Amino acid sequence: MILMQPQARAVLQILVNRSRVKQEKPLEIDFHLVEFNDVRYHILSVAKEPHYMTLSLGLPLPAPETVFSGDLPLGAVEAVRGAYGSLAQVKEPPEMGYNLTLRIDLSQLPADEEDCLQVLTKFASVRSVVLGAPLREILKHLAMNTVSPDADRLTALMHRPRESCFLVPQADKVTVIFPMRFKDANDAVLATSFLQEFMEARRTGGLNTAPPCLWSSNPPAELQGVSGLALDANCGFVSIVIFARHVEGDKLERTVWNLSTFHAYVSYHVKCSKAFMHTRMRRRVESLIQVLNRAKPDLEKDKKTAQGRSFKRSV
Amino acid sequence: MVCVARLSKLSASLHLCLRAKANTLRPYLTCIRNTLTAAMSLQNFPCQDVERHNKPEVEFKTNTELLLNPILICRNEAEKCLIETSINSLRISIKVKQADELENILTKKFLRFLAMRAESFQVLRRKPVQGYDISFLITNQHCEEMNKHRLIDFIARFMEDIDKEISELKLSVNTRGRLVASEYLKQYT
Repeated sequence: MILMQPQARAVLQILVNRSRVKQEKPLEIDFHLVEFNDVRYHILSVAKEPHYMTLSLGLPLPAPETVFSGDLPLGAVEAVRGAYGSLAQVKEPPEMGYNLTLRIDLSQLPADEEDCLQVLTKFASVRSVVLGAPLREILKHLAMNTVSPDADRLTALMHRPRESCFLVPQADKVTVIFPMRFKDANDAVLATSFLQEFMEARRTGGLNTAPPCLWSSNPPAELQGVSGLALDANCGFVSIVIFARHVEGDKLERTVWNLSTFHAYVSYHVKCSKAFMHTRMRRRVESLIQVLNRAKPDLEKDKKTAQGRSFKRSV
Repeated sequence: MVCVARLSKLSASLHLCLRAKANTLRPYLTCIRNTLTAAMSLQNFPCQDVERHNKPEVEFKTNTELLLNPILICRNEAEKCLIETSINSLRISIKVKQADELENILTKKFLRFLAMRAESFQVLRRKPVQGYDISFLITNQHCEEMNKHRLIDFIARFMEDIDKEISELKLSVNTRGRLVASEYLKQYT
């Protein structure tokens, strides 16, 4: 698996399992999940209300420069209403410790298994709907080659706990800048070499239409005027320039998802490559031990009698 | 004393031959191999201070009479090998080339991984000598248990494998990076 899917696998699994059980049957479900080390999910179903299920979404703490309306990113509530319609209600106020609580009406799920799965997949992608809302808004304007009238020169969006990514919206392109941070120094070195490959990769065949991608260790000129704390990145800065052709039609959703999980994607592959290294090293250790064992002279083999018993000569 | 004289003479001549072809690995390894063959003449030697103790003298350095001159074999500034000898034990410390930050962490990771498994390697030291990346401690007991030339084969193979493994690991990181990046960018086209 190289790419990550917008739906949270575990959430989808739980929802599918619940929908397969007869809806009248009361069922107690209580799951707490965390995704990509930032977003928390809480899925709850109580026996008293067999037709309903609640799905709560907990977002990490935003950085101070990020634009938030209330507890959620700008435009998230509208996006949720648009995505789920009458299938789910937004509960006011949300569950304690969470930012959004959806009350899913199980009786309204389509009867057809395939359709039902599609709807549940949509519920499992709630992360992309909520966190991607402001990004989607800006990219929609890009698709129409306009800039939304109330947009600032530089917009900060929540990307990671206490971290944000920056957007520079223009009529013909949107530059997305990710300050990359990794806690572990070794991870940072691996990630830096990965990020440099992003710059190189575009030159390979077939990727001429991909968005230009730049990596630099210093903050790019667009970030002038941003406070120092937001610019403190140990892995440099990645800027991706998105043009209108990248957000046409159904590409929009994919672009929003890919941009909003850029850090998770890189960090996932850093971890994968560390795991791969360990398997390699283990194999290498085995082969070296074999070489060392060859140095030991063969021990005298046990002599066996005709009955299959072994004996040792007393010295 | 005879042994010391022979050793230092050997190393001087080997050093000369090493300088002629400084850039290939083979003469470096040959030099280490020959030095080890000469240096690995260990004998049982009980501790002089504590009764019924038998310690590797190269570690404890209780008496200078029991130590021989250490030999330093350098391939270049970044890659070197220090061989310290005493009457009953021998210590080999290796410094591995680290060209950039990525190689540095790969080497650190790999050698730490090996040192943590020192138990299964018998001759490996848990901690490298200061200034080196990995160390071996060979005592007279190891020499009795194992074939001497095979043990030297192991050291040479070990050094070759470290170099090979690190360059392969580096290559695999870069290949994966390229693949990861192009798959990501392909999503937009």
